[in-house]
Amino acid sequence: MSNPCQFDGYKTDHFFDEMFAQGESLNPRTHYEKIYQRIDRLTEKEILERRQQADSSFLEHGITFTVYGDEGGTERIFPFDLIPRVIPESEWKIIESGLRQRMLALNLFLNDIYHGRKIIKDGVIPEEIVNSSKNYRPEMVDFEPPQGVYAHICGTDLIRDEDGKYLVLEDNARCPSGASYLLENREIMKRAFPQTFGGMSVRPVEAYPDLLLRTLEYLSPRKSQKPVCVLLTPGVYNSAYFEHTFLARQMGIEIVEGKDLIAIDSCIYMRTTRGLVQVDVIYRRLDDDYLDPLVFRQESMLGVSGLMDAYLKGNVALANAVGTGVADDKVTYAYVPEMIKYYLDQDPILDNVPTYLCWRDADRSHVLANLQSLVVKAANESGGYGMLIGSHSTAKEREEFARLIEKHPREYIAQPIVSLSRHPTFCEGGISGRHVDLRPFILHGEDIEIVPGGLTRVALREGSLVVNSSQGGGSKDTWVLKDF
Amino acid sequence: MLSRVADNLYWMSRYIERAEGMARMIQVHQNLALEYAQGDEQLAWFWKPVLQSICAEEFPAGPNEIKNLVKELVFSSGYENSIYSCISLARENARMVRDQLSEELWLELNNIYLFFRNGEADEVYQQGSDLLLDRITRFSLVFQGLADATIPHGEGWRFLSLGKYLERADQTSRMLDTLNLRDKEPTRADLMSVLRCCIALSAFRQQFRGNLSLQNVACFLLFSEDFPRSIRFCIRSIDHSLHAISGVPAGAFSNEAERLTGSTLAMVNFTDWSQVQAKGLHQTLDEFQSTLIEIGQRVFETYVLLPSEIKSLGERNIAQSAQAQQQQ
Repeated sequence: MSNPCQFDGYKTDHFFDEMFAQGESLNPRTHYEKIYQRIDRLTEKEILERRQQADSSFLEHGITFTVYGDEGGTERIFPFDLIPRVIPESEWKIIESGLRQRMLALNLFLNDIYHGRKIIKDGVIPEEIVNSSKNYRPEMVDFEPPQGVYAHICGTDLIRDEDGKYLVLEDNARCPSGASYLLENREIMKRAFPQTFGGMSVRPVEAYPDLLLRTLEYLSPRKSQKPVCVLLTPGVYNSAYFEHTFLARQMGIEIVEGKDLIAIDSCIYMRTTRGLVQVDVIYRRLDDDYLDPLVFRQESMLGVSGLMDAYLKGNVALANAVGTGVADDKVTYAYVPEMIKYYLDQDPILDNVPTYLCWRDADRSHVLANLQSLVVKAANESGGYGMLIGSHSTAKEREEFARLIEKHPREYIAQPIVSLSRHPTFCEGGISGRHVDLRPFILHGEDIEIVPGGLTRVALREGSLVVNSSQGGGSKDTWVLKDF
Repeated sequence: MLSRVADNLYWMSRYIERAEGMARMIQVHQNLALEYAQGDEQLAWFWKPVLQSICAEEFPAGPNEIKNLVKELVFSSGYENSIYSCISLARENARMVRDQLSEELWLELNNIYLFFRNGEADEVYQQGSDLLLDRITRFSLVFQGLADATIPHGEGWRFLSLGKYLERADQTSRMLDTLNLRDKEPTRADLMSVLRCCIALSAFRQQFRGNLSLQNVACFLLFSEDFPRSIRFCIRSIDHSLHAISGVPAGAFSNEAERLTGSTLAMVNFTDWSQVQAKGLHQTLDEFQSTLIEIGQRVFETYVLLPSEIKSLGERNIAQSAQAQQQQ
């Protein structure tokens, strides 16, 4: 009996498909050729085996995230799809330079906002945008962060529109997560398709933990000795806890909770079995709000009393700096192209998705009149929470959002619904197209470093545009090819 | 090493040893009950001292409840010492110190946890509780073997040892104490069950040629020089771990945990059956158990809690910065 081919009956519909060029018959793009061949001739049994292997490998290794709101903090695996996303080097070069440019501009912006505010004085960005941002931290005004950098680690989400053009959807300049999946996905794929992987000259990503550690060490206030870096986690019940332990282990640094640290005379120490050890750099995976109950949320049990004091006196470095959230605010986002022009005198290499700012009267009326065809997002939320996708919403949800927008216009932005590119993905009943985005991780230490590729997230529900893990998203390995 | 990490390693190790002890206790008694306890009343009489010793008053056992009770001891999520609870707690502690464990060690622990979580354990239990209990015992032994074979024998490993031997000493003393809880002289079956619970039957036979008496069994489990579950052996191991952690030579001490362990070890080394008899076996074991609890507390105070001076320094600092905040 001859095997049916896996891609039989696959349709690209009217979307931009990552693997297939538009056309009557299936026509794989050149950079996908080899992996297409390989997957097309897999038998059902082989697919099942590989999927089970991958799933149980994630579960056994405890590569799980915790779902909030679920009873007893259920641990789930982040669904993984075996068909990798492939990016040719020529495309990656453009993405890379675009991200580099954006990272520079965001850091210059943060520096400007907390010193002198030239960009506001020159009328490029309205002052109220900055002042009203929930994540603006007045404590940071006139403070010099170590090495002058604010956002050291940034995860910028990219999407592709109907024509395959890369657009920036948002910047995550606070505590972006996902790097551990990027690394683990790669390990799984190398095991699942060793020959194909080997034959395609995929650029490695394993350097990420080393680069991250170098980025952290660069910030140490004490140059006389090897810096003591730690990763500060909110604890075992945090949804990204696996990632925290994973990265700490890969970097060989301690993973600490707030209660492991203590501030004495404006220095931070960790409590060890041999007494106190001074800490130089904290890679914190904790939002500003929870860092220090003396300065931010008083009820926070996760942070360290006196941490801000030590930070502002320059005795400990934080990555990312406090107050970077003002740069990834979704309203500020709309101004990034202007920032790039203003600070770097360049045209943005990667465009934004057009954005309506609800606090502008004209924009707001447009948004309210066209809710059905827009995506509305809360300016300060992340993880796919607080979001309305007009075309997939009920009248009741739209009314609810209209009310929210009228009440808090500063809190909402809207964007046209970009029909994200699709990627062949294993689904119930065979391979079919699912929407994807891409989150590369940008590190800003002495230089800006980006490991090739990033985390490709895929919306597993048919037609869904939401790729977040908390909302039914999965992930794929991302292969950036060498010299294609 | 972070204090919290030391604490997590210690508890992870204790809970695993505890799960193993519970599994073997159930298995041994189920097995012996087949031969020695016919009928409900005898069955209840047979189990009572064991349950009393293990779970104090928490499980007043009526004849019909034994079967359910055993299931509770394995699966209950409400009872902290059930096998499932111990495994969950061990894993919870392990999750907080993943960076200290080898991948092999984590996999072993996570797999047994998943085995319970996904209902497989239940299925196996239906087929025969022995199958499940065997698996748990084997898990613990494999885990301890992996801990010895795959992680550096540094500070973290010493805390694993501490947890393991403190728990083990506690269990051996509890098992031995069941012999005091019978309302008549221990029978051959009672003595056998105690030895089996401590995996001591063949080692005992080698030494005493099957001369099964209360004195021989008690002396073996209390004083054996080289049997790894005797109280003497366990306390010597605790002493050794504590000195390896602090770097202070044996025979001296630098903290309460070391002083207490050292003096207990000396006492065990220089005690024989006549002293035990004079004091009474139950009283002797009771004192051991209190000492073990105290050693555990002292370890916690020495290595996990901040010394009081440092703590007050931190608090003063907090008060100062709070003041400074208000003045701004």
